[in-house]
Amino acid sequence: MSAFYEGLAEIFEIEPAAVGPSLVLADHNWDSLAVVSTLALVDECFNCLVEGAALARCERVSDIEALIAAA
Amino acid sequence: MLNAAVTAIAGHLPSRVLSNEELAASFDGWSAEKIFEKTGVRERHIAGPEETAGDLGEAAARRLFEVHGIAPSSIDMLIFCTQAPDYLLPATACILHARLALRGDCGALDYSLGCSGYVYGLALAQGLIMSGSARRVLLVTADTYSKLLHPLDRSVRTLFGDGAAATLVEASVDGRASMGPFVFGTDGRGANNLIVPTGGARRARTAETALETQDASGNIRTLDNLYMNGAEVMAFTLGAVPTVVRQLLERSQLAMEDFDLFVFHQANAFMLERLRRKLAIDAQRFVVAMEHCGNTVSSTIPLALEPLMRAGAGAVAARRAMLVGFGVGYSWAATSIVF
Repeated sequence: MSAFYEGLAEIFEIEPAAVGPSLVLADHNWDSLAVVSTLALVDECFNCLVEGAALARCERVSDIEALIAAA
Repeated sequence: MLNAAVTAIAGHLPSRVLSNEELAASFDGWSAEKIFEKTGVRERHIAGPEETAGDLGEAAARRLFEVHGIAPSSIDMLIFCTQAPDYLLPATACILHARLALRGDCGALDYSLGCSGYVYGLALAQGLIMSGSARRVLLVTADTYSKLLHPLDRSVRTLFGDGAAATLVEASVDGRASMGPFVFGTDGRGANNLIVPTGGARRARTAETALETQDASGNIRTLDNLYMNGAEVMAFTLGAVPTVVRQLLERSQLAMEDFDLFVFHQANAFMLERLRRKLAIDAQRFVVAMEHCGNTVSSTIPLALEPLMRAGAGAVAARRAMLVGFGVGYSWAATSIVF
C-alpha cells in the first residue's frame, strides 16, 4: 500500500506519514482534479479502474480502499 | 502496391495567446506554475470573436500550399473535421472549397469528430485514394472550443486551445511512405461525459439553459458550455488506449520496438504520462507537444507531427509513428504511418 499512500500524499501535497485509512479527503481539497489524479493512481498501483462518480463520493482513504477491493 | 501517405503538414494557430498568468488571475488558489504542473500547458491560442474554424482551416491550408509548393488545382478531395462548423448548413468544407479556389470536380465534405478526428480523417483519405476516387486529399482539422467554454470553468479552460492543421495525403508511389492498418472504436454510452448539451436539434439554447451553476469543485458553467467529466474521461482513456494499441500491434504484425515515435492525442500532459508509463514507452520516443498550444482537439496530432516531419525531411531512413486519437464520443482510433 505504500506506493499508493505516497501517491496520495503527492496529490494532497502532504507528508506520506500523514496518509492513512482514516484521512478525511474533504480536508485536503478533494476536488475533480484530485479525483482524476487518484483514479489514475489507483490504475497505476493496482491495475484497476474504479468508477469516477463512486470515487468522487469517497469520504475517507478507507472508502477508496474499499472501492479498490470491490473492483 | 498502391498505398496512401502523409506527405506534408502545415499548422495554424490564432494570434491571441492566453497565458497561465492570465488564467491564474481568474482562479483562486491556482498559480501559473500549478496550472503548468497539472496540465503541461503554459499558454494556448484563442480565436478572435469573429474568427471561425473555417478561417483557421483556411489559413492552415494556405500555409500548406505556400510552404510546400502545392497547387490548389491538384487537390481531388477536401475533408474538413470540426465540431464548430461556421454554419449549421452548408458544410464548412464547401465554403472552404470556394475560398481556396479548388477545382469544380474536387469533392468537399465535413465530418464531426473531436480528439479522434485526425486518425479517422487519414482513414477516409486512404480509402478514397485506394479505391481510385482521388489521388490527392486535403485533410483539414480545425476547432474553436474556446467559444464553448465558460470563463470560470478551470477544468477545461486550462486545457483547451484553438487551432487548425492541413495535411496532404497522397497516393504513395515509391512504396517508402505509407499508412495503415487502422483500428477503430466507439462507445456512445460515454457521450454525456464530454458534451455541449444545447445548440443542436435535441435541445435549443434558451434563457434557462444559459443559467450558471457551480459544481462541487467550484467550476462554473451553463448548459450552453462544454462539460467534461474528467474522472470518467480519464477512466475511459486508461482503458481504451492500451486496448487499441494492442489491437493495432496485432493487426499490423508489429511490435512496440518497431515504432520510432508515438504521437498520441495531446489531451493533457498528466494523462499522457500515465499512458506512457502504462504502455512502458520510453520518454525519448513518446511525443509531448502541448506546452505552447494546449489541447487543440482534432489538430493535436498533426501539430505535433509537423516539426517532426520537417526535422526528418531528407533523411535516408523513413520513420514509423504510431498515431492514437481518443476522446469525445467516446470515439477512438489508431494507425501506423511511415514518413
